[in-house]
This record gives sequence, C-alpha cells and structure tokens, in this order.
Amino acid sequence: MPLVTTPAIILHAFKYSDTSKIVRLATREYGVQSAIAKGASRPKSRFGASLQVLSQGTAHLYFRPTAELQTLSAFDVAEQHPALAHDLGRYAAASALAELMLRCAPSEPHLALFDFVGAQLDHLATVPPQRVATAALAGLWAMVTALGFAPTVSACVRDGRALDEGAVGFSVPDGGFLCARCTRERTTTVLEGPDRRALEQLLAGSDELPAGWTSRHAAAHRRLLARFIEHHLAEGHPLKALAFWETAAWNGTS
Amino acid sequence: MSAIDDVAAELARLPGIGKKTATRLTYFLLKQPRSALERLAEAITALGTRVAACSVCGNWSDADPCGICADARRDAGLVCVVEEASDIAAIERSGEYRGVYHVLGGHVSPLDGIGPEDLRIDPLRARVANGGAVREVILATNASLEGEVTATYVRGVLEPHGVKVSRIALGLPVGGDLEYADGLTIARALAARREMGS
Ligand SMILES: [Zn+2]
Ligand SMILES: [Zn+2]
Repeated sequence: MPLVTTPAIILHAFKYSDTSKIVRLATREYGVQSAIAKGASRPKSRFGASLQVLSQGTAHLYFRPTAELQTLSAFDVAEQHPALAHDLGRYAAASALAELMLRCAPSEPHLALFDFVGAQLDHLATVPPQRVATAALAGLWAMVTALGFAPTVSACVRDGRALDEGAVGFSVPDGGFLCARCTRERTTTVLEGPDRRALEQLLAGSDELPAGWTSRHAAAHRRLLARFIEHHLAEGHPLKALAFWETAAWNGTS
Repeated sequence: MSAIDDVAAELARLPGIGKKTATRLTYFLLKQPRSALERLAEAITALGTRVAACSVCGNWSDADPCGICADARRDAGLVCVVEEASDIAAIERSGEYRGVYHVLGGHVSPLDGIGPEDLRIDPLRARVANGGAVREVILATNASLEGEVTATYVRGVLEPHGVKVSRIALGLPVGGDLEYADGLTIARALAARREMGS
C-alpha cells in the first residue's frame, strides 16, 4: 500500500478499541476519508495529542482507493485553533461546518471545498466576538453554496418572475425567494425587508452586522438555514452539530 | 451456543480483548476451582447491584455518599471537576490533592450530539450555589479542544455565583487525556493551575 501525504483537516475523531482511534479526515487530494490511527489511545503514543478535532495539518496515509478504512501513519499539526474552544458559539459553528463536510461533501476530492473549510475555521477562530453569529451564518451559507445548493434569491424560484422590493416569501422546499403571487399560493416563511436584506448580505458572504440585528434575528436566521440544510442536503440523516449550533443551547443570546 | 462460547463472547466485548484472548481467558477459567469462579461471578454481579454513582460527586461507589465525599479530612471547599470517574483515580495517584471531586460524565461534543445539558453541570451549579461552602472549583477536563470548550462553558455557568474557578495546567504533550498522565505530571498541573478569566 503506498504511503501518501496530503493536507488534511480532522473532522471527527473517536476511540476505537482500547488502543486506537478512528479519524474522519477531509483531505485535499483524496476527499473525505476514514482512517485508523493504531495505538493513538496509548499513553505514550507517537500521535501524542495531534489527533484533535478541527485540527489542520498534513496526514500521512497508507492509502488504498477502494478501502473503506485507510491507515493513518502520522499527522503533522499545523493549526489546532485553541481559540475555537474559548467561545461555544465559535466551536458550535466550526463543528457544524465540519459536520457538513463530513456528511454532505461529494466523495471525490474537491480542492476548492477543502480550502474553503480550512479558511472558514481560521476565520471562525479569529473573527471579533460580536460577529461570531453572522460569521457562522455567512460561512454555513457559503458552504451550502459550495456544495451546489445555493438558494435562488435573484428571482422567484418557482416561475422566475421578478421580485418586488421589501418583504418576500422564502420557501425552503422550493429553495429560495418567491414572487408575491407564489407567496400567496404557498405556505411559506415571509422575510420582512430588513430580514431579506440581512439574508442577501449573508449570502454575499458578509459578516457585517445588518442594521437592527439582534439575538432574535440571529436565532431566526439559524433556524431558516438549518431547515434549508435538512431539506436539501441532509438526506434524512440527523445533523447533530447543526442542531446544536441552531439551538445555541449554551446561552440563547448569541 | 455452548457455555464456553457464551463466556468467550462476553469477554470479547471488553475493551482491549480480542477473540483470541477471550478464548484463552475462557480456557484459563475452566481450569479454576468452582469456588474461584463463583467469587468472580459474585464480584461482577455486585458491580451492577451494589455500585452506583455518588449522589454528590458522581463517582462510582458502594456507598452514597462515596468514600471521598464522606471523608471529613478532605477539603469540601475545593472541588475538582473531571470528565470521567476514571480520571479521579488518576488524580488520586498524584497523592497531592486533598479536595473533593465532581464528575461531569463526558465533554461537550456537538458532532456526537452531546451538549452541556447531557453533562452533570446542573448538579455542579447546585453544589456551588448551595450555601457558599465551595471556595474554588478546579476544572480538570482533558486538554483537548472538547475538554477546553467544556471548561469554558462550565466557567460561564459558575461565574454568577462568585466562586473562584481555575483551570488545571495540563499540557497537550501527554495526549490531552488526564487518565494517561502520571502522578507527578498531575501534581505539577494542579499546583500550576490558573484562575480562568472571562
Ligand atoms: Zn413566483
Ligand atoms: Zn462522592
């Protein structure tokens, strides 16, 4: 089996047997892979503390394209993002992002997606505290877009009609904004003008605080995004980290 | 299935025991006198019937409260918070700690669906809020990202109660898991604990 070296992000890590760990890796060149790190749960393991969730670095893998489980020979840590652990909002958002990569990314390698996730983890670790909530929303919407499920906001998603100014319907199942006529016909979430502009701003990738933004707005936007992901990407699998981030159970304010 | 297969299958479910070892252990047991087998069976049964989590700290014990909580010579004003009951044994090995404990039962892990509400954080808050007997809470969760984020959360919960909250100075070199650290490392980490800022 050839030993390959690739930039990688640890998306998930858990104990397997008394002595080993299994890591789920986003790799730059080989897509998302599972790998066993033999002996990683031993006290004096050569892996040391390198196998931390959300760490970025270089994975050395004994790689077989057809294998379900690869063998991790070593992981050189470049960045462990300790700042993510000092704020549950940052940590929850980073976990939700990792979960999307783990559950929803295509099996074939996707360089842009890999680089995007790495950049988002850096950003979530360093963004000023007051912007964590908007950075998380913008980052997760960008991830949805990168996975090919961008919501349609330029015209009515059902019939392509032009949209009025101001309040607009947003249909999760249809995947975007609705014109006035479709809004009347469908049961749908109505976004008032400021919420619509906030969503457009988030979809444009900005984590600037929209005008009049409060924790209540943040909660409503988290709910909308979570429903959208569940409907279009989750394929019926529960997304636990997404649910954790959505409910913001750690404080209810951010 | 035969009795031999039954025992081997049960043993093989234990951590670190493969099929081969399980079979070897089963044949070893077969050669033991019947009284030894009965003692083993009774000891294992007692784990299920006599041992329960201490209602104060969450440690596994035959008695409630556990021996540590009931020990009047220990300092009940100093509470060391750990992820698992097995971490208590690691800290006791250091021989340096004279306070009491609080077992959370794990760490925050969004990907596994484990949030703060799944941990024994409310009982900790109640202990601290109850009459102000607790002077200091030492957070000795693992030095992993999950252990850190759990410590961050617990500190936030305890902050309104005005208790001193410190973090054990356990470096990542040991692998982050408390249970793997030797007694000297833990003694040093406890001595070098730092008060957690907001
Ligand atoms: Zn329409
Ligand atoms: Zn106790």
